[in-house]
Amino acid sequence: MKYLPFLLLACTAFGQVTFDRLLKADAEPHNWLTYSGSYKGWRYSGLNQINKANVKDLKLSWVYQMPVTHRVETTPLVIDGVMYLSEPPSNVVALDAATGRQYWRYRRSLPSKINVCCGQVNRGVAVSGDRVFIGTVDAHLVALNAKTGAVLWDIEVADYKSGYSVTVAPLIVKDMVITGIAGGEYGIRGFLDAYDIKTGQRRWRFWTIPGPGEKGHETWSGDAWKQGGGPTWVTGSYDAEQNLIIWGTGNPSPDWNGDVRPGDNLYSDCAIALDADTGKLKWHFQFVPHDVHDWDAVQVPVLVDTEFQGRQRKLVYWAHRGGFYYVLDRTTGKFLLGKPFATQTWANGLDANGRPMRKQGIDPTPEGVEVWPGVQGATNWYSPSYNPLTGLFYLTAWENKGLYRKGDAEYVAGNRYIGSVPKIDLEDEPGYGAIRALNPKTGERVWEHKLHTKPWSGVLSTAGKLVFAASGGWITRDRQEMEAWFYALDADSGKELWRINLGGDMSTSAITYAVNGKQMVTMAAGSAIFTFTLP
Amino acid sequence: MTRSTLLSALWLLAATAFAQQREIRNPHTTPADVAAGAKIFRGHCGECHGLKGEGGRGPSLITGVYYHGATDEDLFNNITDGIPGTSMPGVFFSGDQVWQLVSFVRSLSASKAAPPKGDIARGERIFREKGCQGCHLVRGEGGVNGPDLTLIGSQRSPEHLRRAIVAPGDKVLRDHWVAKVTLENGKSYSGFILNEDTHTLQILEQQQGLQSLTKRDFNRYSVEKTSTMPSFARQLKEDELNDLVAYLHSLERKGGSR
Repeated sequence: MKYLPFLLLACTAFGQVTFDRLLKADAEPHNWLTYSGSYKGWRYSGLNQINKANVKDLKLSWVYQMPVTHRVETTPLVIDGVMYLSEPPSNVVALDAATGRQYWRYRRSLPSKINVCCGQVNRGVAVSGDRVFIGTVDAHLVALNAKTGAVLWDIEVADYKSGYSVTVAPLIVKDMVITGIAGGEYGIRGFLDAYDIKTGQRRWRFWTIPGPGEKGHETWSGDAWKQGGGPTWVTGSYDAEQNLIIWGTGNPSPDWNGDVRPGDNLYSDCAIALDADTGKLKWHFQFVPHDVHDWDAVQVPVLVDTEFQGRQRKLVYWAHRGGFYYVLDRTTGKFLLGKPFATQTWANGLDANGRPMRKQGIDPTPEGVEVWPGVQGATNWYSPSYNPLTGLFYLTAWENKGLYRKGDAEYVAGNRYIGSVPKIDLEDEPGYGAIRALNPKTGERVWEHKLHTKPWSGVLSTAGKLVFAASGGWITRDRQEMEAWFYALDADSGKELWRINLGGDMSTSAITYAVNGKQMVTMAAGSAIFTFTLP
Repeated sequence: MTRSTLLSALWLLAATAFAQQREIRNPHTTPADVAAGAKIFRGHCGECHGLKGEGGRGPSLITGVYYHGATDEDLFNNITDGIPGTSMPGVFFSGDQVWQLVSFVRSLSASKAAPPKGDIARGERIFREKGCQGCHLVRGEGGVNGPDLTLIGSQRSPEHLRRAIVAPGDKVLRDHWVAKVTLENGKSYSGFILNEDTHTLQILEQQQGLQSLTKRDFNRYSVEKTSTMPSFARQLKEDELNDLVAYLHSLERKGGSR
């Protein structure tokens, strides 16, 4: 078996996740060590026991039912046979990854009133040493003992009463735990934080909305920056060679009424690259200056070193919510390429610096303006995947338009601050979804797997030349729209090779791991975790 | 127990009983309150409940049916604190503002308070005489070529019902689009779309009842968004139309979601 040596290697550090192991996550594909599988943000696994030839025989191995009612967006981690996962709103469970049997459960006691824009969700935990970390919807960061679930420290990241919450899976970098913040619909001032793994003390904070005297503050007017948004609610990536944390930021607030915030509104809707030791900004790239459509740039940055346009480069691949696919230089943030990957009607393309050339008449109005893509974008937080064997970039795409309406926006701490009520689905023209494969060096589409509905889940690709994806999701649960297929596609052609109806919302992305020599594939659907393997 | 503690206990018991009977009523019900509530609703609630309360990600608020309690106090508490186990969050507005929201939410189903003119019993007779039941189900009786009307009074306004009778082709809602399918083997199906996904289609077939079909077997598939119902504008006098609307309006939800 190809990964047996790695199993032996892992035994030497059983259960202890060192920074070195995280750096070399590719070398132990039987584990899933971080939100995206590795620091590069690929959501790719080197396992190939399940492959194109045998995936048709994939069978259910075990199910873990969560005793919760909130929507499940978790990405489980698997470390040496133990699965650590978050349950919404802010619980953590440790399971036997072979059987799904529970070891321990941390159940967080929460205040009765918490405002999270789109449900009290959590996207996963991080593990370092023998510690498990979770961010909570009451905006705390908690460290647990990995063997018992006991609380080691519990610190306040921000004031949940002002609309701050933590839904993002943390990322471990060196001896720090990095966490973002959510609350872009509540007029927060966004940031990215680093905390000491041992003590919980804050090492640095990067405000995504710069204050007076800070660079970028000139892109705001008056006091709008104080409630400027720019949340950081999806886990970013880490470039170890350059010691850069690369993370996406969300929409400026209020979302759909930009009158109070003339200017580009940095660093909302940006890719930001921070020095991991100091939190200082190295570079940024803004996808949508002065966004009025809620097109967050919270996608997972996909880091690839490759030859590009005739020379070896460090790149970031990024399919953004607004409908364009980008290639950026990872050393400077320089824009190298941009191309639509889905229908968009808001820009006449991108200029030489990657800045969108906005059309007239696309901004929200009281009556409403129809624009492609719709309010949930041409893609969103769903993980993309890069597969080094096919050289392709895979993503979930939506073909849809939305009705963008503008309304009043009055800031009252802790309440919604959005400036409108856009229509996500137009009744008669709901659009459709697809899994698409792009040539990442050109942005050209290589294949498409078309779906009846628009998925709210991301993709996983493997060395078995498979792409695992899902359909259906939490807003499309009207009875004409409900679908819940989990399936495997041929990574070369997009042909469907296996599928199963899991019967519930899927709002996350799959992972794969191996335990006792068997490759397993895990996906959350409804309130359960389903794990599949070969007979 | 001493005499004085016994008296205190009795007093406490009486006070509790009194408190339980006292109903908390909304103190903010003027048109200005409704307007103020509407403004807050538009900014904070409409994203899920629809701009006009028609529903979306959250349930419709225009039916007058509230699944988590229907008293003013229930509405006040549910808006203030949110509803555990659902996506409904609480708010951080002042009590006065929440009462204004309650007033606006109540106004959305105000037509329920003033039922349409017309005689329900006569309307029911007309419903049978004009052959409506040939196509429409009411409490399990009738055909399935048209929408089930068992709960239509909870689902549509009197104005909508009237329009649907005189001009049924004006706007056919998605619930009533009809799938026309011919399979590779020549079998054909026609019925309301109940559910559809990338690989399958579930319909209420007009002759064969519930059918779940696999798209791989399809030869032809189309969706008709027009209505096959004739207009009754000329067949009904104004009084009769009022009676029929009154009857349909009386077909109400008694609990449950469908």
